[in-house]
Amino acid sequence: MASNPMQQFAVHRIGPEIKIAGIDLSFTNASLFMVISAFIILLFLFLGSKEKKIIPDKIQLIAEISYSFVAKMISDTAGSKAKPYFPFIFSLFMFVLFCNMVGMLPYSFTVTSHIIVTLIMAVFIFVAVTIIGFLKHGFKYLSIFVPSGVPVVLLPLITIIEIISYLSRPVSLSVRLFANMMAGHTMLKVFGGFVVSLGILGGWLPLSFSVALTGLEILVAFLQAYVFAILTCIYLNDALNLHH
Amino acid sequence: MPDDFKTRLKIAKSKIKKKLDNDVEKRGSFMGNAFKLGTELVAAVTVGTIIGFILDSWFDTKPWLIVIFFFLGAAAGMLNVIRAANRMQRED
Repeated sequence: MASNPMQQFAVHRIGPEIKIAGIDLSFTNASLFMVISAFIILLFLFLGSKEKKIIPDKIQLIAEISYSFVAKMISDTAGSKAKPYFPFIFSLFMFVLFCNMVGMLPYSFTVTSHIIVTLIMAVFIFVAVTIIGFLKHGFKYLSIFVPSGVPVVLLPLITIIEIISYLSRPVSLSVRLFANMMAGHTMLKVFGGFVVSLGILGGWLPLSFSVALTGLEILVAFLQAYVFAILTCIYLNDALNLHH
Repeated sequence: MPDDFKTRLKIAKSKIKKKLDNDVEKRGSFMGNAFKLGTELVAAVTVGTIIGFILDSWFDTKPWLIVIFFFLGAAAGMLNVIRAANRMQRED
């Protein structure tokens, strides 16, 4: 048994080494668990939409709930203009959620506990939202950096602050998901290590903590997927409806 | 009038039940909001400091721009937190 609590985050190669133009593109355990998560989502939605019953069975019900949950989230935060982006936000939410949830299984690997994965998703969202903003509003989109009703003297300072605030979006989006997932899984492993080292006599207390933490981690896994998706909606809303 | 009372009781009960259901739904998003605020502040400070560091090595003005942009980043972080808090209040 690995006693190092950070051991679970190690990425290692599965199968042959693939190198294209000096970049290591080998299939790793991280890629494997991404593929597993994507397959579970596809299977779940396929089974959920196979028989379109009027009185849904359990799996159809869950699929419909997840659909209406995301649809409601988008219409509440970004309005009706954001409807065309539903497929993107739905896949994003489901992917983050299932990566987090698959990571909760013992012996599995949590893809979202690596900053590079979350940062790539966040940077993609950031770039996409910026492009959408410029496409919809042209150069008027730059007016989000200039809030109305500010004295001319303060304008350069406020503009710089607004630009920093805008650039901090992908960082806060990715760090939040990554830090929550990594901290939670490290904590679980640390308490698991206490159970082993304290043995049959003293191990019961950390074991009960471990059980409680597992419940908390499942909650965090869902919440972080939710927060990730809802912040994407909020950024999309800023790009679609210029109003500040 | 026992009938009238019964219907009124039924209406009142269903109202309370609806309210409770809404509260349970909302509790999840409260937790989400709480997780959101902390990183909002830190991220802007980090980005500000990094921008300062890069500009410093461009213009050879160590360490002045990194100091200035650290504080600008802190201001941007507070702005982010205030915006997020305002958004939460509007949602309620």
